[in-house]
Amino acid sequence: MSELKKSTRTSFAEAIVEVGEKNPDVVTVAADSASRYGDFIKKFPERSFNVGIAEQTMVSVAAGMALCGKIPVVTSYANFLAFRAAEQIRVDVAGSKLNVKLIGTDTGFSSAWLGFTHLALEDMGVIRTIPGIVIIDPADAAEAYVATKAIFEYNGPVYMRLRGRKEEPIIFDKKKDFKIGKGEVIKEGKDALIIACGNAVYDSLKASEILQSRGIKVTLVNMSTVRPLDEDLLLELTSSVDNIITVEHHNTTGGLGSAVAEFLTEKRPQIRQLRLGVRNRFGTAGSEDMLKKRFGLDGETIAISIENFLKNRTK
Amino acid sequence: MSITFEEIDSIKQTADLIRKDCIWMSTRAGTGHLGPALSLAEILATLYKSVLKVDPQNPKWPDRDRLILSKGHGCLALYSILSQMGFFERKLLGDFCTKYDTMLPGHPEIKLPGVEANTGSLGHGIALGVGMALAARMDKKEYRVFVITGDGELQEGSNWEAAMTAAYYGLDNLIVIVDRNMLQLGDFTENITRLEPLAEKWKSFGWGVEIIDGHDIEKLLTAFNKIPFVKGQPSVIIANTVKGKGLKIAENKVDWHYKVLSYEQYEELKNEMSLEELYHE
Repeated sequence: MSELKKSTRTSFAEAIVEVGEKNPDVVTVAADSASRYGDFIKKFPERSFNVGIAEQTMVSVAAGMALCGKIPVVTSYANFLAFRAAEQIRVDVAGSKLNVKLIGTDTGFSSAWLGFTHLALEDMGVIRTIPGIVIIDPADAAEAYVATKAIFEYNGPVYMRLRGRKEEPIIFDKKKDFKIGKGEVIKEGKDALIIACGNAVYDSLKASEILQSRGIKVTLVNMSTVRPLDEDLLLELTSSVDNIITVEHHNTTGGLGSAVAEFLTEKRPQIRQLRLGVRNRFGTAGSEDMLKKRFGLDGETIAISIENFLKNRTK
Repeated sequence: MSITFEEIDSIKQTADLIRKDCIWMSTRAGTGHLGPALSLAEILATLYKSVLKVDPQNPKWPDRDRLILSKGHGCLALYSILSQMGFFERKLLGDFCTKYDTMLPGHPEIKLPGVEANTGSLGHGIALGVGMALAARMDKKEYRVFVITGDGELQEGSNWEAAMTAAYYGLDNLIVIVDRNMLQLGDFTENITRLEPLAEKWKSFGWGVEIIDGHDIEKLLTAFNKIPFVKGQPSVIIANTVKGKGLKIAENKVDWHYKVLSYEQYEELKNEMSLEELYHE
């Protein structure tokens, strides 16, 4: 892990300018969320729109543009995009398979002190019930940069999760490309398999180091595409382990843990899965560190949960 | 532009056929929103016959005018006019809600040539229209975007978000037609959540407004010829209509929002209204 730090939002803003330079059809629509587009608006004012605090309209306007050949990007707090505009995303965007990129920000615990209204812990659950939308939760700023470029190479609706303005450690200092639907093994070990997405990859990496110091070696997968899930990789990796753990800064219902469980229950019913995430609770106000600790999603607590899980196995 | 008697007569005949088609399709299928389709007959006939620049042989022609039926439940009338214009064969009307995965479901979908957006969930059309009108401006194209909303539909707040946005961007290539038939699913609009003073609402949101009789073809043509009503502002036509217009038992009746004729009623009316044989294929 590098010492560099950067926010996923900054990376997105950098990448979107480059994408806009290459493709004149790329347009942005904001809902008083224009700052997330960085210099794009300054560089391309004629392709930048702001509908005000009106997420439903933002999504429908983008859909109207996409029906006329544009490639619109919309962004807002993940909750307000995924929940308030869910119906517009379903009917106007996904229902017509339109090429609209939906960027939900301030996900997981990154809203911190803004409290439960702003903590996005259920957004993937909403989006994942809508057919046909790619879902990406990049692990760090380096991945957010390449993922942003990749989603514009893909023709169809995409939901990507970004976090807040705060800088986070860069995990992948040499990340060159991103393939939608491909998971990546970033650590190998035979005792268990951890599958994580988003900022939880960092905490899982910490946990894996703690576990290693206690003699437990785990494989860690960055499953940044939650849909389509990398089923080939899951089948390959679960052929040799019995215990898997999913980790996400999201509710355990509807997100990565659910996606993995839904797949494996059909293909590998013998697998035991521990789903780490937020369990049937709302977020609350606190610093990110406090929240991670209280919800059991900091490195140390993840490591303890995994140890207990492995100890209590019935096999 | 002068309006000729021939033009009005041709539109009237088209509107008559819309009504007959709507009644035929819905009775045959035993389902459909007949009342809210019948109030649209003159509006759609006037738009397609005299106003919209469309090419039924090339439905995706990039320079075409767009029409979004935001009140998607009025689709019986849209299916009729699109078939009359030649977007698809007339015999396809028989598939309305009678065939699995039909091209003509109870709300319109873009898989059908001539349909510009999936509609049915209310309150989406104006914002979709804003997106299209902005795209036209970005591409320096002359096409215009027409959106037909129901009046009850205006209770959805998303309309007013979009209305503000359209006015802010000065989209005088966007035209909304409110089918003001005064009725919604449950009751008269003014008994549920009052919409009046409706014209003042639009004006205060920065739109040019005209109120007309939505069954008077000459008045519709005159209004459409005046667009934009105010340069640099989007235009709205509040078209006063009668729900169920042309089918006496349905006119202005609450329960005819989602109701169709029985076969027996159809047989009784068949000669009087010159309706097609019900089983005609």
